[in-house]
Amino acid sequence: MNFRPYALLAELTYQCPLHCPYCSNPVRYPQGEELTTEEWKRVFAEAARLGVLHLGLSGGEPLARRDLAELVAAAREAGLYSNLITSAVGLDKKRLLDLQQAGLDSIQISFQSNEASLGDVIAGANVHQRKLEAARLVRESGLPLSLNVVLHRRNLDQLEKIIALAESLGAIRLELANVQYYGWGHLNQTQLLPTREQVEAASAVAAAAKERLAGKMELVYVLPDYYETRPKPCMQGWGRRYLTVNPVGNVLPCPNATSIPNLKFENVREQPLASIWNDSASFNQFRGTDWMPLPCRECPQREIDFGGCRCQAALLTGDAFVTDPVCTLGPHRDVVDRILAAVAHDAVPVEEWTARRNP
Amino acid sequence: MSRVDLNCRPALAAHVRLQIDPVNGDPVLLFPEGVLVLNATAHDIVLHCDGEAKVHEIVTALSEAYEIDEPTLSSDALECLADLLDRNLVILKS
Repeated sequence: MNFRPYALLAELTYQCPLHCPYCSNPVRYPQGEELTTEEWKRVFAEAARLGVLHLGLSGGEPLARRDLAELVAAAREAGLYSNLITSAVGLDKKRLLDLQQAGLDSIQISFQSNEASLGDVIAGANVHQRKLEAARLVRESGLPLSLNVVLHRRNLDQLEKIIALAESLGAIRLELANVQYYGWGHLNQTQLLPTREQVEAASAVAAAAKERLAGKMELVYVLPDYYETRPKPCMQGWGRRYLTVNPVGNVLPCPNATSIPNLKFENVREQPLASIWNDSASFNQFRGTDWMPLPCRECPQREIDFGGCRCQAALLTGDAFVTDPVCTLGPHRDVVDRILAAVAHDAVPVEEWTARRNP
Repeated sequence: MSRVDLNCRPALAAHVRLQIDPVNGDPVLLFPEGVLVLNATAHDIVLHCDGEAKVHEIVTALSEAYEIDEPTLSSDALECLADLLDRNLVILKS
């Protein structure tokens, strides 16, 4: 089966106590009521029947849902491997025990920095110390702990200390992903995009740590793709392996897909998940290689990077059907090069970033 | 290079779940952000990874079930476990 969803990202709510300037939530929130407990349970069961094995419980902050443990239990009953993707704000001993007893498989805690002084500025809230305490509780509980740190101009130089923090907390996995410049991240790009020197230094640090930690902690390092010459294989291909259901029930091929103009998304309140995955216009829009423009259509990389990211093409060129502008073989690389030239020119960005707001 | 030998007691790591893929019946290991599809031999080896049995005991059990000679099965099992160890999917108990 060529198109089978393996992982569902369930964005349970847009509510979040943090205000990170690169939040992956949309800048303009969709209208509608959050899905109810029963609606999510149905979505999990339908997803499992469709082939999904992995469930990411995300948001916003998923702990803001009081029914989280009930949802975890439903995921376990459906046979899904559940991972809680959380800021850890609100994760106390009682809550953790409830989630563990409900069958949660692992927890991923976000950190904004290795230290409170910077971390709390980025998060826009005094949370770093609470995250440390929560991470220790998770370790004591025996649940597997992963850390996720989003990297950008302000924290990239601290990469070595960030890795040391993850080690000291006993994480089994550390995800170091540079900011993706969509939505809030795009709005704050001038403040967040690192310089080439920063990126090169950080890549060397990450590579050395990955080797040193092999067999102890899995380290995943994702480059900022503007500094690459070939596009990322976004979502492993549109509508091929992943699906996202947002808080109001819209089903998306990727979490950013609502940023693409003129693309309409179906809702789990109106249609079964299987028919949305298999038959909807949105999931079929960029599936396979038939939609591709040149040079993608004839490129030997077309089944490797799938033409890159549709959201990025739309955001940077206004046309979701063109080659990802990151690709140096495509006709729009100059757009990315102009952005990088501006970063190299501005020694220190002076203006403030726009903090993420709740709906 | 490999840290596995016949006297190790392998166990699945705490973050790993063995499950049957309901879509196609394949045995799979599930872990954060990942899925590993197991072949039949790997599946049988993993089923014996309880942190109690030593690798040579697992090999003996499987060779009786499979009617395959122990030396061949030993090298297959060590290779399989070394691979799982590299991926942080099994741990070794002393």
